[in-house]
Amino acid sequence: MPIRGLKGGLLNFLSEPDLDAIHFATLEVLGEVGIKMEYRPALEIFSDFGAKVDFTNSIVKIDEQFLNKALSTAPSRFTLYGKNEDFDVKVDPERVYTIGGSSALNVLDLDGKYRPALFDDLIKFTILLDRMKHLHIMHAIVIPSDLEEYGVDRMLFAGTFPYTSRNYYSQSQTGADGVLDQIKMAAVFQGSEEAVRKNPMFTEVVCMVSPLQHEKVNSEVLIEAAKNNIPVYVEVDAMPGGTTPAPIAGTLVEQNANVLAGIVLAQLVNPGTPCIYSIASGLMDMSTGGYAGAAPETNLLHCATAQVAHYYNLPFQGGTGIDAKIPDAQAGYERAMQVLSNALAGTNFIHLSFGMMEMMLSASYEQCVIDNEIMGATFKMLEGVPVNDETLSVDLLRKVGPRSAHFLTFKETSEYVRKNYWVPEITDRNVWSSWKAMGGKSMQQAASEVAKRIIAENDKPFISEDQTKEIMEMARAFHKKAIENFKKNSQK
Amino acid sequence: MSAEEIKKQLFENIINGDFEKTADLAEKATDDNVDPMEAINSCLVPAIELVGEKFGKKEYFLPDLMRSANAMKNALEVFEKEITKKGIERKSAGKVVIGTVKGDIHEIGKSIVSSLLTAKCFDVVDLGVDVDSDTFINKVVSEKADILAMSALLPITMPYQGKVIEDLKVKGLRASVKIMVGGSPVTQEHAERIGADGYADNAVDAVKLAEKLMKNS
Repeated sequence: MPIRGLKGGLLNFLSEPDLDAIHFATLEVLGEVGIKMEYRPALEIFSDFGAKVDFTNSIVKIDEQFLNKALSTAPSRFTLYGKNEDFDVKVDPERVYTIGGSSALNVLDLDGKYRPALFDDLIKFTILLDRMKHLHIMHAIVIPSDLEEYGVDRMLFAGTFPYTSRNYYSQSQTGADGVLDQIKMAAVFQGSEEAVRKNPMFTEVVCMVSPLQHEKVNSEVLIEAAKNNIPVYVEVDAMPGGTTPAPIAGTLVEQNANVLAGIVLAQLVNPGTPCIYSIASGLMDMSTGGYAGAAPETNLLHCATAQVAHYYNLPFQGGTGIDAKIPDAQAGYERAMQVLSNALAGTNFIHLSFGMMEMMLSASYEQCVIDNEIMGATFKMLEGVPVNDETLSVDLLRKVGPRSAHFLTFKETSEYVRKNYWVPEITDRNVWSSWKAMGGKSMQQAASEVAKRIIAENDKPFISEDQTKEIMEMARAFHKKAIENFKKNSQK
Repeated sequence: MSAEEIKKQLFENIINGDFEKTADLAEKATDDNVDPMEAINSCLVPAIELVGEKFGKKEYFLPDLMRSANAMKNALEVFEKEITKKGIERKSAGKVVIGTVKGDIHEIGKSIVSSLLTAKCFDVVDLGVDVDSDTFINKVVSEKADILAMSALLPITMPYQGKVIEDLKVKGLRASVKIMVGGSPVTQEHAERIGADGYADNAVDAVKLAEKLMKNS
């Protein structure tokens, strides 16, 4: 079934005057405080286009006119390509999609063991997630502990891209070379590097640092991605109270200045580069100093940021991991509040919404299946309440009339139910005795069975064994080369 | 339309729950001298079984199940009339007297069970809602019922299921009939406490229970 984009935007925490105030505060920060950019070519680009650049302190300052002109070329609508058109994601500032988990270091495996993630986990998770019908964009959910970390993005590519039908959300840890290596790997499936540049089946994320800094590698990746027409998630990972001001409004201003400066850079390099205004921000828990992805304040922040991104007509990525350690009641409530609020607020990509637990440190197979269920229920609510002649049902009420009767045997009921009612997959709605008779399973146990079955079935989509192998060999060589370059550079 | 074509359409109409058409099709079949027993066994029963399968797989839902059961029932009535006319002995799966107990006007659950029992070739006498003890007992006697099925949706009407059983005992009729009870607040424990022979917590299981009670009788 093709991916269907439902519209969000029903939930608004900010008023129009609030949004204007955030915009004007952002202009003050961009014009008077500026953004620190460690990558000299980035400073030069801004300078060439007439921005105020302090090369000594690596600070870029831009005014409203500069900002508006650059943003005017950032597209509001574009396509993120899947392996076939059923999996294409049509992006705009209204429709809501999901992105899987990313970069967990540990896994809660299907034997209930908590351990460091392995490369084999990456493939198994990807196979499982690819069968989750409410997942729209695939991430590499773990960073395997059995691989050297520098340049590991090439191996993540080989462990994810061939095993998914979805657009792949990639990253480069080393700079421009990572982007170019990944274009070569995607070309194995897409036919040529030219085809990749035309309809890229992967994207890059760049993470800006709070407060107000663009470090070198990410700027390099952003520029290289833009040059090659690879869509970019320009992300900031604010920690209110830690790396940004404690009030949500102040964090909105910091995020906005930081992300917009990145999007402006992409537009200066290559006008029209698809950019997604992105955050993976999380409140600083003031008891532990940790990252509280599922805090209600984090949810408020993400919902409000959706409005800020949409103020500039940009698609928005929000959402983040949850804080529970196992798929328990905490996991259920945290995930449900997070994804429902984000979906209603119109977060266009609900990021990290499958399997991510423990403040982004671990990934759970079972939680992936449970999150798919929560996402299904969320999308059902996003459909809202359609009111039209058919749904008002006056004809049917007339036909049945005021008498002891029911609507079950009407064709209208049968058709409407089959087309519209959400069918839960692992939610149990039986009474105690039936539930007991069917094994009396907890939701975690039901999810475990689904995950085990899907992984055992091992359906690999679209790509041939030969192509998978070729990409793997390339990834190994690219990874080795990246490590060698790193060693050479650090000896200098 | 050939006899085969009629049977095919009958099958499809049951699958699709088009219950308005099945009586006419059954009439057409009997006009064409289709053997009614054969039609029931080779067409109606496999159709309703396929519907049950789809329901189990969550391709079909309660409205589909009821529409198909009604489609089956409408055709079945025509074929049964024909069978009686021909003087052939047709063994029904069992005779069930069913109703919602006195003080309770909740109908839907009871009607679903009633439809599904009919579709499974039970002979069903549906007394409707708000049925008092005497009406239940008189019908059990006059219809020579194999099973008495009582529904209650309210916790305050649940005990009435027990009252009917007590009344049957007093009249010395308890052993003549199997009793099954159901309804949202009803549990296995309640069924045992009031001395019923069985309980099911959903309509599909209720039919299985009725089949089991018939086997044990």
